[in-house]
Amino acid sequence: MSTPTTEQDTTAPAQATPTGQDAAPAEDTTAVRETLTAFLEQRTKTAVAADVDLFSTGLVTSLFAMELLVHVEQSFGVQVGGSDLTLDNFRSVDAMTALVLRLRGGGDE
Amino acid sequence: MNEPTPVSTARAEAEQLATELIGDRADGWDLAGELPLDVLRELGGKGMLCAQVPAAYGGLGLSSAENGELTAHVGALCSSVRSVMTSQGMAAWTVERLGSDEQKAVHLRELTSGRLAGVAFSEPGAGSDLGAMTTTIRVEGDTVVLDGRKSWITVAAYADLLVVFGRHGSGAGAVVVPTDTPGVTVERVPAPLGCRAAGHADVTFDDVRLPADRLLGGAGLPVDWLVTSALTFGRVSVAWGCVGILRACLRAAASHAATRQQFGVPLAAHQLVARHLAELHVAHEASAGCCERASRGWDENSPELVVSAVTAKHLAAGHAARGAAAAVQVLASAGAHDGGPVARAYRDAKLMEIIEGSNEISQLLLGKHALGVWS
Repeated sequence: MSTPTTEQDTTAPAQATPTGQDAAPAEDTTAVRETLTAFLEQRTKTAVAADVDLFSTGLVTSLFAMELLVHVEQSFGVQVGGSDLTLDNFRSVDAMTALVLRLRGGGDE
Repeated sequence: MNEPTPVSTARAEAEQLATELIGDRADGWDLAGELPLDVLRELGGKGMLCAQVPAAYGGLGLSSAENGELTAHVGALCSSVRSVMTSQGMAAWTVERLGSDEQKAVHLRELTSGRLAGVAFSEPGAGSDLGAMTTTIRVEGDTVVLDGRKSWITVAAYADLLVVFGRHGSGAGAVVVPTDTPGVTVERVPAPLGCRAAGHADVTFDDVRLPADRLLGGAGLPVDWLVTSALTFGRVSVAWGCVGILRACLRAAASHAATRQQFGVPLAAHQLVARHLAELHVAHEASAGCCERASRGWDENSPELVVSAVTAKHLAAGHAARGAAAAVQVLASAGAHDGGPVARAYRDAKLMEIIEGSNEISQLLLGKHALGVWS
């Protein structure tokens, strides 16, 4: 389980988070994305690209949706509260990665 | 192996209070089809009806494993009261899961201070198929408007609040509705087969208008997403309730078989009767083990908890239904009085095979899961 690193915050510009603030280190983004992809691929037995729409492809069923939510919370030590429970936040690996990085930023939730 | 977790003071006190308040009164409550409101309010005021609510909101803050044991304890005494715990627990968990900080502060406090709550999913045309719900939740400026009809809502006859699920936008939403709001009509279900005193009712919402902050978060999510979380709590709770039913059946059947004499020996000395006791024992151990696993998943927030909850509910409900039938068989005429512990268990357990995902819906979910994991 990866934890937020602070040592390398001065590295090159990382991918922008949706809020545009506190851009995360690139390696953090990669670690979160890899953890999510591994879980999805293990459970769906399908290769899952980071930008694929999980709902329109039917990869996420009703029980699996909740497992995914619990996985995100457990793996990254975040709580996804009511206002963050939107389809768009869970639509793809990229969207979930952005959500996790934003919640872990511990900003103004 | 029944109790892997140490018993906390809060749980021990809660179990003692349940024993004192319920005692041997469940038979009468079942026959009357009514629970005394003062008992429910006292249990609720102690935080016992939704005992996993954190202490910060006035709850007992029990783990799922501890609340499970408390649920089984109450379930062994009275499935109607246990049923109230399941509903109030689902209502609280829905608020905890979907609510904003302000909504949690307001509503969880209410639920731990004696106010009673139920959760409304099912409708005349939407039972297992919750996607067919027609109840609508729409926002008009700073008002949320609710229209529709819900059926067989547990606790609704006693409830101060209902957490009502309905269509919202392109998905679903959940709204916290005080039952004294104009436009809310509660009609009791006459003579339910089981959990007779749990206050089942049909509820109509006719242009019910509430402040918009009664709409919980997650509004607009697909209905499956929104309800699975509440149902998962409900399934764990029902499963533990079934463990309680099996305990009540074991107690009644074993005591009777040890004392009742036929053909010159106690019933238990007859091998066919002893077999019933053995199978009841196995049913209880298997169900409790499955429940412990689901609760461990809940307490560790592990993704496996979702499937474990369906598994535990399906296994425990089936065992409770068959176990209760066996207990009636062992007690025979001594168990055939309506209202008595095994007669109640027989009727209550049957309902457990229907609610929070019928046997068949559970099998469909588990079949899909098995295919995904093992194929």
